[in-house]
Amino acid sequence: MNLLEWIDGFACWLIQHAARSAPPLLSERLEEEWLADLEAQRGRMARLRFGLGCCWATRVITNEHCAPKVPATASATGHKVIATYPQHDSSFFSRGATAFLLIVGLHGALIYALTTGLAHRMIEAIPQPIHAVFLQQPRTHNEPPRLQPQPKFSPPRVDEVPKPEIPFDVPPDPDAIREVAAQPQEPLLPPPTAPKVMNRLLGGPGKGFPNTDAYYPSAARRMGETGIAAVRVCVDDKGRLTADPTLAQSSGSANLDEGGLRLAKAGSGHYRPTTEDGLPVRSCYVFRIKFDLKDQ
Amino acid sequence: MRMSLQTLRVLEAFLENPTEELSGADVQKRGGLASGTLYPILLRLESAGWFVSRWEVIDPSSAGRPRRRLYRLTPSGLTRASEVFASFGRGVLA
Repeated sequence: MNLLEWIDGFACWLIQHAARSAPPLLSERLEEEWLADLEAQRGRMARLRFGLGCCWATRVITNEHCAPKVPATASATGHKVIATYPQHDSSFFSRGATAFLLIVGLHGALIYALTTGLAHRMIEAIPQPIHAVFLQQPRTHNEPPRLQPQPKFSPPRVDEVPKPEIPFDVPPDPDAIREVAAQPQEPLLPPPTAPKVMNRLLGGPGKGFPNTDAYYPSAARRMGETGIAAVRVCVDDKGRLTADPTLAQSSGSANLDEGGLRLAKAGSGHYRPTTEDGLPVRSCYVFRIKFDLKDQ
Repeated sequence: MRMSLQTLRVLEAFLENPTEELSGADVQKRGGLASGTLYPILLRLESAGWFVSRWEVIDPSSAGRPRRRLYRLTPSGLTRASEVFASFGRGVLA
């Protein structure tokens, strides 16, 4: 039996017991009348209130009819008019029972409110679980610069002309030779040499890094603040901080910035060091922490 | 008969249509009274001869609900209720 059915049953029970505690001449009538009127009540809380009210009505009716009354009179229509009842010296509820019923009723009302609407609204009011996502900066690899292909030098095409064989009798002029030697020659580009290639993989939060949920500032959570804080950290080759992290870019919320710094500090020892050619090295880099209240 | 505000509300519910028979649930809706207040008043007025009551004549199985107790103003009750409202004035219940 769930709570709602229990409330209905409890209301009926209240009415039956209240009616049976009424003066005997009224007992059956009140029970039938109240149970019929209970059917007309809409809503379980209204039924519960109705049942509790009937208990109070019994108490009042009983008290009113305890004292001897004037003998019955008949109305002009001939319907029997209730005027006198035998004394009924027992009250339906003692003070303790009344207090007990009151407490039970209040608890029932509270449980009903929590199970129907209030709890739902409370759950809505509680901030949703936080889903934090680390946004890594794009990894930059020191790739060797791509060399532009050198244009192929193709000498102008000259039609081959047979060299004339001219006998020289003139002695060579040393000045002329020097003049030719002094002519500026076209600078020759040194052959391109590829720079030393270093595969640098930037570090970031690594295995065992603390969860952002634990560092989402409660004030920011209550105010529904979300944002991304960029934090600069310097990490050794073991993934440990070598200096206190600093804020590289604010999230727009001082609370979130503070939470980001605390998270970055707490993550010491759990950073993934930057690697160069596969070897961990000391480095400083910026990573971003996203504080988000994501819907389920 | 002590005329409390709740009693006046019960009477007002009946005076809307004096020939109409109302159940306790009907009066409760019209007067906005709690059951703990309403039924003692109904019985009080009935014992004083202002109301008469009878069981509704229906077949509960076909109607799908139990029979109700119906109350109606007696002629003397109507006269006295009208006098009460005349002496108090309508502003009392506003």
